[in-house]
Amino acid sequence: MDGLLNLWSATGLANLTFPALAMIAVGCGLLYLAIAKGFEPLLLVPIGFGAILTNIPVAGLADPGGLLYYVYYIGIDSGVFPLLIFMGVGALTDFSALIANPRMLLLGAAAQFGIFATLFGAILLNYVPGFEFTLQDASAIAIIGGADGPTAIFLASRLSPELLGAIAVAAYSYMALVPIIQPPIMRLLTTEEERNIAMPQLRAVSKQEKILFPLGVLTLTLLFLPAATPLVGMFCLGNLMRESGVVDRLSNSAQNEIINITTIFLGLAVGSKLAADQFLTVETIGILVLGAVAFSIGTASGVYMAKVMNRFAGDSPINPLVGAAGVSAVPMAARVVNKVGLESNPHNFLLMHAMGPNVAGVLGSAVAAGILLALVG
Amino acid sequence: MDITALLAQAANLMLTGMVGVFVFLSILIIAVKGLSKFAAPDEPTQPGRRINKSKPSDAEQVPGEHLAAISAAISQYRNQHFQSEK
Repeated sequence: MDGLLNLWSATGLANLTFPALAMIAVGCGLLYLAIAKGFEPLLLVPIGFGAILTNIPVAGLADPGGLLYYVYYIGIDSGVFPLLIFMGVGALTDFSALIANPRMLLLGAAAQFGIFATLFGAILLNYVPGFEFTLQDASAIAIIGGADGPTAIFLASRLSPELLGAIAVAAYSYMALVPIIQPPIMRLLTTEEERNIAMPQLRAVSKQEKILFPLGVLTLTLLFLPAATPLVGMFCLGNLMRESGVVDRLSNSAQNEIINITTIFLGLAVGSKLAADQFLTVETIGILVLGAVAFSIGTASGVYMAKVMNRFAGDSPINPLVGAAGVSAVPMAARVVNKVGLESNPHNFLLMHAMGPNVAGVLGSAVAAGILLALVG
Repeated sequence: MDITALLAQAANLMLTGMVGVFVFLSILIIAVKGLSKFAAPDEPTQPGRRINKSKPSDAEQVPGEHLAAISAAISQYRNQHFQSEK
């Protein structure tokens, strides 16, 4: 009889708690969004599955000694995984559109206002009972507005590891929702006439420029913002491997195998942070709300900046829609700009013009992360 | 910590952060423009030259060798032919 009781006490049924069950449901919800709705499946599948594994009672996968614990400890606590992904993103990024029209960097800068405004908003939320965000927490939450998964995970792991699960889930969910969040804001802030603006064709960019660009960015980083070097450095390494043309094998590995393998484990490690006691809190709701606010403000400030720049643009006008691509989310945000532009004028293809602010947004959010690390970390 | 003090810090951070991002990316704009000026002159001519060079050189070299070989063969053949006819 004792044996049977012992066996019963080792079953999941005997140990299942309601919060754990709720988190398994959240994991299933993420899997549903990824598989049935196609929302960022590359990340939400491992994250959702990781959430389920973590909350399985008795197994203790996320406790010290468990697989997910080690994956988290090795990959995210150390900051290695997001940086490896950033190297892959660098190898996947073509900066031609930005080099051809460097003014677009200003749009990438303006869209980062979403981050800093949300930081203020997160602290403001402390007036609501139940919220106690420190400046570190607020900074980590605000980086969701950078619309850049690896950057968000990197900064959260440095500043506020206990909020990492909710921040990563919010960042990736909102990146998937870019086609739904952005267009209404873009339409609201621009006139039909502005959306019709055609932009002059971009010049061809030489190979030498493309090779020197990552080296130039790295030089500026080491001179002015060394705190951003982990992110910007790995990004530039990836980009240099791509553009130099002499290490195609390495560049291909960074773009495919390395980024894919890292994505699996990064997702699992993020999922391991979706334990009931950490996720089922009122703070998670705050983070989800603040993330949406950050995205919206970032989009709006990008569009406004583009409108201001268009005033002074002279003979090479700027379509204000491209400002919305300043929140990185490559290449989704640029595609959304192209789509909204085509609605107004079926012959106006803005995709290449939007890629400039789009990749500028990646640099902008890495720089913003560096500033937050330097000032708050 | 007092919320108002935190708010003041957050506002300060917002200002410094935005100024920082703008200054950094503005310097980058200047750097990229400088880069384009520095890198531009040699590049546009290169592909053109390459194409111009490669085609005539192909047209000159290979037929040249061929011509020599062919003419040598023809003259040899003619010599043999004439000799045999005679």
